[in-house]
Amino acid sequence: MGVIQGDQMVLNIGPQHPSTHGVLRLEVMTDGEIVSKITPHLGYLHRCFEKHSENVTYEQVIPYTDRCDYLASMNSNFGYVVAMEELMDIKVCERVEYVRVIMAELNRIASHLLGVGAYGLDVGAFTPFVHMLRDRERILDIFEYTCGARLLYNYMWVGGVSHDLPKDFKKICFKFLDYFEPKIDEYNQLLTYNKIFVERTADVGVLPADVAISYGVSGTNLRASGVKWDVRKEEPYSIYDRFDFDIPIGEAKFGTLGDCFDRYWVRILEMKESIKIVRQALKEIPEGDIFETMPKKIRPPKGSIYRRTESPRGDLGYYIESDGSPVPTRVKMRSPAFTALSCLDEISQGWMMSDVLCILGSLDIVLGEIDR
Amino acid sequence: MSKYFTNIYDTVNTLWTGMRITFRHMMNIKKDNVTLQYPEERWPRPERDIGFELEDYNVIRTRLHVDIDDCIGCFRCEKACPVDCIKIDTIKAGRGEDIPEVAHTGETSNGTKKGFVVSRFTIDMSECCYCNLCTYPCPEECIFMVGGPHSSKHPIDYEFSEVDRNDLIYQFAKKLTPKQRNDLQQPKEKAKA
Repeated sequence: MGVIQGDQMVLNIGPQHPSTHGVLRLEVMTDGEIVSKITPHLGYLHRCFEKHSENVTYEQVIPYTDRCDYLASMNSNFGYVVAMEELMDIKVCERVEYVRVIMAELNRIASHLLGVGAYGLDVGAFTPFVHMLRDRERILDIFEYTCGARLLYNYMWVGGVSHDLPKDFKKICFKFLDYFEPKIDEYNQLLTYNKIFVERTADVGVLPADVAISYGVSGTNLRASGVKWDVRKEEPYSIYDRFDFDIPIGEAKFGTLGDCFDRYWVRILEMKESIKIVRQALKEIPEGDIFETMPKKIRPPKGSIYRRTESPRGDLGYYIESDGSPVPTRVKMRSPAFTALSCLDEISQGWMMSDVLCILGSLDIVLGEIDR
Repeated sequence: MSKYFTNIYDTVNTLWTGMRITFRHMMNIKKDNVTLQYPEERWPRPERDIGFELEDYNVIRTRLHVDIDDCIGCFRCEKACPVDCIKIDTIKAGRGEDIPEVAHTGETSNGTKKGFVVSRFTIDMSECCYCNLCTYPCPEECIFMVGGPHSSKHPIDYEFSEVDRNDLIYQFAKKLTPKQRNDLQQPKEKAKA
């Protein structure tokens, strides 16, 4: 007895499809409604970040890094400036370090809010999305208050930040955190423990730890598979070693370890950890001059560096090669969302068409970062 | 069988919990309302209560404006722009000399003597990425984002639009007729000869 097999059909999802979170085309081979192979086609949002970087000076690269991961621009900036400062051997002052950590963690919350909210939207829950965007708006207001921009900040500069914090920043930030912390419980009631949502996501698209590691998946997607790996803890950059926070990992809450629900749940838990970090940083932040360590001219010595940081999407690395001129020879960005997308084919084989969008949403990819 | 009914119970129960939150928000609609009816209402702009003492902090990123009378033609903003949306041309003139024919003043408001007549200063706002990098190197602080601390020089304007894309290329330099341009370039050629 052979296997009864119908005709294979090729189905295109995208490039303009709301569930692909940007402009991504998925070429899906389907057998009836069962998916047998997925080929992602990239490049619809390609903006030549790396080639552009070879033609502009070091400080001009920073607005381009904003546009890579546009949901977490602060973290994109952070990775670049951390690498640059190590290359130039700059030790920035304490206040700058604290400001950067606060901004990066607030942006992580904002990014996870959108990721989690849009995931609810993918599986058909509209209300949580609206609630989460409302709270994300408050974080963006804080950013606007600090640096004038709401999405693409160009805030962290090599050796400093562009604006000092406003005088009452502590107050408004604590106010936001006090407002936001109970809201997470509200999201849990609205979406997380909703039986329909749980049934839709638990046991779906299981990403085992060994597969995740072999594909180079990092960040929340890797931690959801039960691997306790966070660059903030393993290779602490900036001042992350001073803060007391946990790394939430997947715990198979409703289904198998590493399923879509775990990936969702780790993001929710991570928001709580980010709140913890911001609170500690706000309490300890010292006074200081943010422009103290900013170099007049950015001319790194000959050499190259690779430094990685933890962005909301995962392990974000920058490789910078310098020949001593004010223009970089090469800037390479290691994109965490790219590796997350690469494992989509493996984990969605055998699932139904509608589950593919559920799995894709749980990976929380940003196409701006994949295509660069 | 019992699982079947538990499932139904869980579904209805969790849905009810969610609906209760939604309902509570509907009841508190006056208090919790976050939507602004945009053209009638505007969100508060950060310039109002920014709380900075330093005057040179301009946190708002709106629209670039140039006080051309203060511009000395040093090209620093053009060099700083990552997308090359600023284009400047200059013609050499006597240092600190007024040229009334083209309404050129010899000194900036800071008292710096100008050595050039800026014959072209265009900013293509359709290309501008609002990164604010050009405003920092300016020695005369004549290029700035409008609003905020600069409200006295130029009112805030973040809702500008044009019908044609080419109209977004704003010219800040004073218009020179071909004859005036020729006259300005003449002395230099004479000196060479």
